[in-house]
Amino acid sequence: MKLSKIALRNITRNKRRSLLSIVAIAVAAMSIAFLFSFLEGYKNDLADNLHTYYSGEIRVRHKDYGKNEYLNPLHLRIESFRGVIEEIEKNDAVEAVSPRISFPTGIYRKEDTYKAIGMGVDFQYEKAYQNLEDRIIEGVLPEMGKNQALIGVELARDIGVKTGDKITMISTTMRRGSNAITFRITGIVSFPVQAFNKSYLLVPLDRAQKLLRMNDSVTEIIMKLKKGSSGSEIAGQLVAAFRAAGREELETLSWEEIGTSYSFIEMASVTYNFMALFFFILASSVIINTTMMVIYERTREIGTIGAMGMIRGEIVRLFFIEALFLSFIGSLIGVLIGIGITIPLSIVGINFGSAMEGVSIEISEKIYPSLSLRSTIFVFFYSVMVASLASLIPSSKAARVEPAEALRNM
Amino acid sequence: MKRTVMALLVTLMVPASLWAISAEDIIKKLEKNTVTKTARIDGVMIINDRFGIKRSTFISYARGADTMLIEFTSVEEEGMKILRTRDEIYLFYPDAEELIRMQGAALKESVMGSDMSYEDMTGGRTLLQSYKVKLEGTEEIDGAPCYKVSMEAKKKGVPYYKQIMWIDKELFIYRKIHKFSRSGKLLKEIICDDVRQVSGKNIAFHMVLKDTMKRNSSTEFVINDIQINIPLKASIFSLEELTW
Repeated sequence: MKLSKIALRNITRNKRRSLLSIVAIAVAAMSIAFLFSFLEGYKNDLADNLHTYYSGEIRVRHKDYGKNEYLNPLHLRIESFRGVIEEIEKNDAVEAVSPRISFPTGIYRKEDTYKAIGMGVDFQYEKAYQNLEDRIIEGVLPEMGKNQALIGVELARDIGVKTGDKITMISTTMRRGSNAITFRITGIVSFPVQAFNKSYLLVPLDRAQKLLRMNDSVTEIIMKLKKGSSGSEIAGQLVAAFRAAGREELETLSWEEIGTSYSFIEMASVTYNFMALFFFILASSVIINTTMMVIYERTREIGTIGAMGMIRGEIVRLFFIEALFLSFIGSLIGVLIGIGITIPLSIVGINFGSAMEGVSIEISEKIYPSLSLRSTIFVFFYSVMVASLASLIPSSKAARVEPAEALRNM
Repeated sequence: MKRTVMALLVTLMVPASLWAISAEDIIKKLEKNTVTKTARIDGVMIINDRFGIKRSTFISYARGADTMLIEFTSVEEEGMKILRTRDEIYLFYPDAEELIRMQGAALKESVMGSDMSYEDMTGGRTLLQSYKVKLEGTEEIDGAPCYKVSMEAKKKGVPYYKQIMWIDKELFIYRKIHKFSRSGKLLKEIICDDVRQVSGKNIAFHMVLKDTMKRNSSTEFVINDIQINIPLKASIFSLEELTW
């Protein structure tokens, strides 16, 4: 009789035992598959937030801005920025552009001053860049040319303002003077990033330029690229374009080259990979443990088969094939359940809500797991391999038991 | 013999102690010289920092020791005003719909990016009301003999716990001031020169202020023109006038 046939018969003969093995392998495979999807979603979220709110996929600044950033060097700016945007938009790989001015500010309200970060943005560009309208929980977007502001939900709560209220923003101007303008709050926005909710308010770019006396300039232009585009390659093309246009004062960096941004992702990746590794080891130990227990339990049966004339190599192969069948079924079920959980959650997201309160890392309250075909296939084959190989140790050990010894214990 | 020598020494020392000036007297004379009934100053503030030199022109009006209005006239800050009353500091900006009253931590902020903080502008009381003073001796500053007077805060609420002033022995104007924190760390240094006499008062037309917490930074104040004890409308120093 063929070994595979005997293995199948063994599986169906003791249904409860086989089911136990399949369930253990399925749960482990499902957990790993989901964890991978979750961590992928987590990393995507982190990268997206950094690209949207901080560095973009490519960032253009004055070449000396970065090394003086802590001094708020507004004078190290991009002058005639619209010409720079025109140059950027000539590149087909660029999907969205956002010219910005970020500046520390004091918000004066009812004789108290609150520290905040102001951001001058062009709301027309911003609509495309970060779906800002969808994030407004109360009110509307400010209009360009008007002293209107959009405020982060937690900052609004801290200051005690609602839409329609007025605040006065005081800031250091480009020439290190001082200026203040009164703005009306037109909307309260819930950013996915806590830091923005707590500290930021957005004002029309032209009003920020007036407040900071920056004329027609911005401190940075960030951009997002079309999928599949290489940040460093497009940054290189833009550097050449700016140079040809005589804009050699500009520094153009892809997000991989922006130390803080990229190293943050790298650091996060290492942390998540460690988390995944520990979980992986845990799940693998469940599979190995279950498989080995099931085979050790059958030492006498193995001895009997040996007494009936089956040689040692055949016995090991038999149990290997049996484990292979069980792990194949278990892994397949586990991975399919993992996919089944991931797909709806990748649409509705997992809301960590209050758990993220007080967390200052650039992670959204809602994480959308992202299904990775490559890692899912890997999890399937890995689970099958671990379970099958785990059968080799106990079965080869049991096959070494003398048939007479095994029969004596019957 | 011993008694004779002792009597002689005592006789010699008594007149010396009678003639010696106390630290309190020095401070009183300093304040008598520096405080005017009214004053109008046309000046310039020059900030030197790592990004270069920035000049801001201003006109200031003062009444007594504790009321002052500064109106910036340079293009960059045009229309901005700072009003210091006895107890408060208010800022006026042309595009702000309200006056900003500086208080608490905001007082520690720099005035227009200079080495001077709003806190440095506060303090209506005389120095003797706020500080215990002690004459430490005499020293020369830029060739001018000066009294070295140390001052220690009598109570909380003063911007600097300790100060040392070098006050010109003849002109009764400070030549140098060191301002310290409670822990003894030097926070600010002020050096004055170009002393001229205007309407019977000795006025330093040039002052350099250094905030030691800022690297490569100093702020100069230069007086282009000063008028002392001129008639000034009381309303200049009112909040209503400030918003006009």
